[in-house]
Amino acid sequence: MSEEAKVVTKQRVAGRPKLLVRQTAGFVYCPGCHEPITARAIAEVLEEAGMGDRTIGVFDIGCSSFLLGLLDIDAVLTPHGRPPDMATAVKRIYPDNIVFTVQGDGGLLSIGADPLLGALTRAEKITIIMLNNAVYGTTGGQMAPTSLVGQKTTTTPQGRDVIRTGFPTHAAEMISTFKGTAYSARGAFNNPYNYERTRGYIKTAFQKQMDKVGLSFVEILCACPANWRLSPEDSLKWIEEKMLPEFPLGEFKSVDKIE
Amino acid sequence: MVRAEVVIDEEQCQGCGYCVKFCPRGCIVIAGDKFTPQGYLLPSFVKPDECNTCGFCAMLCPRAAIEVYLNISSEVPV
Repeated sequence: MSEEAKVVTKQRVAGRPKLLVRQTAGFVYCPGCHEPITARAIAEVLEEAGMGDRTIGVFDIGCSSFLLGLLDIDAVLTPHGRPPDMATAVKRIYPDNIVFTVQGDGGLLSIGADPLLGALTRAEKITIIMLNNAVYGTTGGQMAPTSLVGQKTTTTPQGRDVIRTGFPTHAAEMISTFKGTAYSARGAFNNPYNYERTRGYIKTAFQKQMDKVGLSFVEILCACPANWRLSPEDSLKWIEEKMLPEFPLGEFKSVDKIE
Repeated sequence: MVRAEVVIDEEQCQGCGYCVKFCPRGCIVIAGDKFTPQGYLLPSFVKPDECNTCGFCAMLCPRAAIEVYLNISSEVPV
């Protein structure tokens, strides 16, 4: 006669990726911010590919610079708006490593537009990840190049006026028109489906870089509940209702060879 | 036997409520009576029997404060 005993195995299904640092002191993001989710997606992609020790991140000034403390990889912090230049130098010294930049919409499209155009013209084999939250986050919610028409910010208290301040910039569409671009896509983190999709975009962008095709670009729509003056839950709704019609998600360019 | 287990790191949680929003079965709630050491509202895992360990709560936690475990019990002869 045999006796039966219950054996319980505890299996970890989901949790913190190894490359994501558990911060106990120093700067922490506002509750509901999507930028640490970006860090998580990057960490998961690098961990999956086993490239954590062969990756160099180039970070800009702004909220995105604090990804430096979140990711357990080699990193450079540059002057404001200059990560494409610094990434060019790093990539030419270490051609076999993944070199990526993380920049905000202000750092890439207003002060950093010139370095971006230079990198696009030269078809540098780097990856640029842009966090689009429609405001300047660090400095207190001023109007950014990506602010929506009619959006209330601290510098446009009556809403963004088309005649005085123009229209929002569509970075992913603009960059897809350049010949040096290998990959251009736009993602968001407003629901689990879009998270998986955006993580796929980041993975493809790194793959295009490792295949030495050209410049790869991923734009990510991020919530900024503190500067939008909304609760985290309402900011997800705001992305869904206001940002997605203006900034449609998807891949705008994906080529295997640039001519 | 509790099948699923969602562990929330109290020191890292900021009480944004994304885990509550994205849980498809309503297993996580913010009741309003518990707080983290920083003073944010702490969510709690209340329905261990209904959780199917999809991991959406952990996936979209900005602070990566959530770990999801699956307890597999198997009967083996001694």
